[in-house]
Amino acid sequence: MVQRKEIRVALAGNPNCGKSSLFNALTGAHQRVGNFSGVTIEKHEGFVDYGSYRIRFVDLPGTYSLTAYSPEELVARNYLIEDPPDVVVNVVEGPNIERNLLLTLQLMEMEVELLVALNMYDEVEAEGIEIDVKQLQRLLGCHIIPTSAKKKQGIDSLLDHVVRVYEGDIEIKKNKLAFRQELEQAVDTITGMLVDEPELGKYNRRWLAIKLLENDKEVYNVVRQYPVWVKTGQALQQIMQETATLYKTDPETGITEDRYAYIRGAMQECVRFPREKKQSLTDYIDSVVLNRVLGFPIFLFIVWLIFHMTFTLGTPLMDGLDSLFGQLSVSVSPFLPNETLRSILVDGIIAGVGGVLVFLPNILLLFLGLSFLEASGYMARAAFVVDKVMHRFGLHGKSFIPMITGFGCSIPAIMATRTLKSPSDRLATIMIIPFMSCGAKLPVYVLLAGAFFAPSVAANVMFGIYVFGIAVGLLTALAMKKTILKSDSEPFVMELPPYRWPSFQSVIVQAMRKALMYLKKAGTIILLAVLLIWFFSNYPKNPELDAELDRRIAEIEMTVTEEGQKEEAIAAAENIIASEQLEYSIAGRAGKLLEPVIRPLGFDWRIGVALATGLVAKEVVVSTMGTIYSLGETDETSIELKSILKNDPGFDPATALSLMVFVLLYIPCVAAVSVMRKEIGDWKAVVYYSIYALAVAWIFSFITFRAASMLL
Amino acid sequence: MLLSDLNVGDKALVKGLHAQNAVRRRILDMGLIAGTRFKVLRVAPLGDPLELVFKGIHVTLRKSEAAGIEVEKAGENGDAVPMGQERRKRSSGR
Ligand SMILES: Nc1nc2c(ncn2[C@@H]2O[C@H](COP(=O)(O)OP(=O)(O)O)[C@@H](O)[C@H]2O)c(=O)[nH]1
Ligand SMILES: [Mg+2]
Repeated sequence: MVQRKEIRVALAGNPNCGKSSLFNALTGAHQRVGNFSGVTIEKHEGFVDYGSYRIRFVDLPGTYSLTAYSPEELVARNYLIEDPPDVVVNVVEGPNIERNLLLTLQLMEMEVELLVALNMYDEVEAEGIEIDVKQLQRLLGCHIIPTSAKKKQGIDSLLDHVVRVYEGDIEIKKNKLAFRQELEQAVDTITGMLVDEPELGKYNRRWLAIKLLENDKEVYNVVRQYPVWVKTGQALQQIMQETATLYKTDPETGITEDRYAYIRGAMQECVRFPREKKQSLTDYIDSVVLNRVLGFPIFLFIVWLIFHMTFTLGTPLMDGLDSLFGQLSVSVSPFLPNETLRSILVDGIIAGVGGVLVFLPNILLLFLGLSFLEASGYMARAAFVVDKVMHRFGLHGKSFIPMITGFGCSIPAIMATRTLKSPSDRLATIMIIPFMSCGAKLPVYVLLAGAFFAPSVAANVMFGIYVFGIAVGLLTALAMKKTILKSDSEPFVMELPPYRWPSFQSVIVQAMRKALMYLKKAGTIILLAVLLIWFFSNYPKNPELDAELDRRIAEIEMTVTEEGQKEEAIAAAENIIASEQLEYSIAGRAGKLLEPVIRPLGFDWRIGVALATGLVAKEVVVSTMGTIYSLGETDETSIELKSILKNDPGFDPATALSLMVFVLLYIPCVAAVSVMRKEIGDWKAVVYYSIYALAVAWIFSFITFRAASMLL
Repeated sequence: MLLSDLNVGDKALVKGLHAQNAVRRRILDMGLIAGTRFKVLRVAPLGDPLELVFKGIHVTLRKSEAAGIEVEKAGENGDAVPMGQERRKRSSGR
């Protein structure tokens, strides 16, 4: 085998410039997704073999700039400094070249080995925009390769240029953009001072000087560690004062203005836009979709449509998977003579992990829809339409989609918060998602509301529970933003990109990726949790009860002759013994131990056990109650369980309401908790959150129980 | 006057920024620097945020953020005052 030479390439560019599409076109199937170290910003890596080279690409987060204000920008530039790639490909959105060149200039300032991919060149041509590529190359001092990620044009040429830059066949001029005179002087002064510090060797001194003048916090913190800071700090202060008094501005603004002035010059020299100005499709669509009257209803309709599709298409698939797992249990059972082993596999693993896996079709479909909205450009409009409401609660317009996704399932919802850029917005949104009643809680409401309220009232009770969850969620967000998450929210200043028809491939790839993440969770932490809970609710075994069961079965065999009746009687006996075994197990004892704590909420130990097992998945609350209240196979429509609960002296409408509130608010299922921990990147936050959720659940259940006991 | 004082359809020129930190940076990155001519295209259905158009790009910002931009009125909707470099036809895929 030939040893290929490796070339490391980073892709940098504005959001929506087509970077991901280009990355897909370049690397095809050879991709891997991880995180940049220490942050939960996705890092896409991939490679392509080209001639005798293996070219490895890293897709940096999409940024408008390279400042220290946002985590993405910091990640992108730290990557370029700490781990300099051989070549940096700056992806530029052709039709929007002017704004995109701002980033190009900042990359030039970092003196990286730069290539520009002039992407969406198909649109540039279709719109009749003329770009004098040769002249622009001369101005920027680097090669510019027209590409179209959509039409797969210019890909080979780009790879060819990468190799040539790597081999030194192409010279990157590293032109310097000269700022206005006073700024240039200031940059020189500071650069001169920084050169005296050898420890700053890995940085480009001029870049450091520019960043210091731009008031860059991170760079301040770096330079402050060295003795040169004494001199530099003073000089900086003086420069700031002078600019303020003499020029009535500040270096940061001046520097940006000069960058734009340079770009404007380049645009005048190299780019011609067509004369005629006609309304584009995007303008037409927006005049309807963002209309003052229609905008909101259309937004709600689109959201409804996505959910409707997710559930109408997803439910049959889900049922299919469900029965598949059922079949699996039935068909493996005979091969497992050992009862313990069979119980682990069938009641533990297949039931538990299967119960989580059945949501896979829904998750896949939901993310297909969301990826489509994102890539088409509608997501930014959705944020525009709802931002006012969300902002009132300290959230961002983009929080809305994850939030409502939470009504389906918290897991994809938490993963969908990745569209939020600011960590504090993300954290706040992640924390309120579990309060949105997910699909798995519905069986619990259906059971309880159905058992204790007339059908017409039951629907209102359930609706009330949903609304209550939203209220608690939004108030939680508000409280967090007012206290622990005061730090920067993301500015709402953002572009509404033109509508584009997303490429089928990249939408599918993205949705598959989320689905895989979910699968991985099911295979690891959820499996572990399921096994633990299985163990706690099965051990220790009371051998006397087993003997008792054998005795009763023998008795039934003797006395009952008719086959059907016999089976029924045996099943009933098994259930009674199973519920007594549960009482004897660790889970049962823990439930009894906990009883004093949950007594004020109207719960006895049996509900305690059901709630604890509900941590695996919320619908398990119903099946555990089925076992404890001595019934066989249980689901929410089970008339039997309903009537048993109704006749149980420990259960009344107040208890039912209190339990619904508790299930709504208490700790989310293990799957959601582990996704939370992955997305936040910190166990501590998740533990605090769980304590908070428990406290909130307890308090509101208590109030509900007391109030309902008095009123009902 | 401030950008937040403008009405839908107004055209104006950026004079300077009061905004600070991340908001200021983002406004600069979008190209809303002194001398940029823009139009207030619309306001969201619930009354906030705003959508501006300039140099062929569409940008949204909240009124609170718009209050950090000093502007000078330079025409109104349909007055045929040219919108600076608003030459770029916005594109759409099929
Ligand atoms: N016409 C055209 N559309 C493109 C091209 N590259 C990307 N797009 C579309 O632009 C949108 C944004 O692309 P994406 O790759 O998600 O951008 P990113 O935000 O930079 O990763 C998608 O709808 C793409 O299908 C291109 O070269 N030509
Ligand atoms: Mg992308």
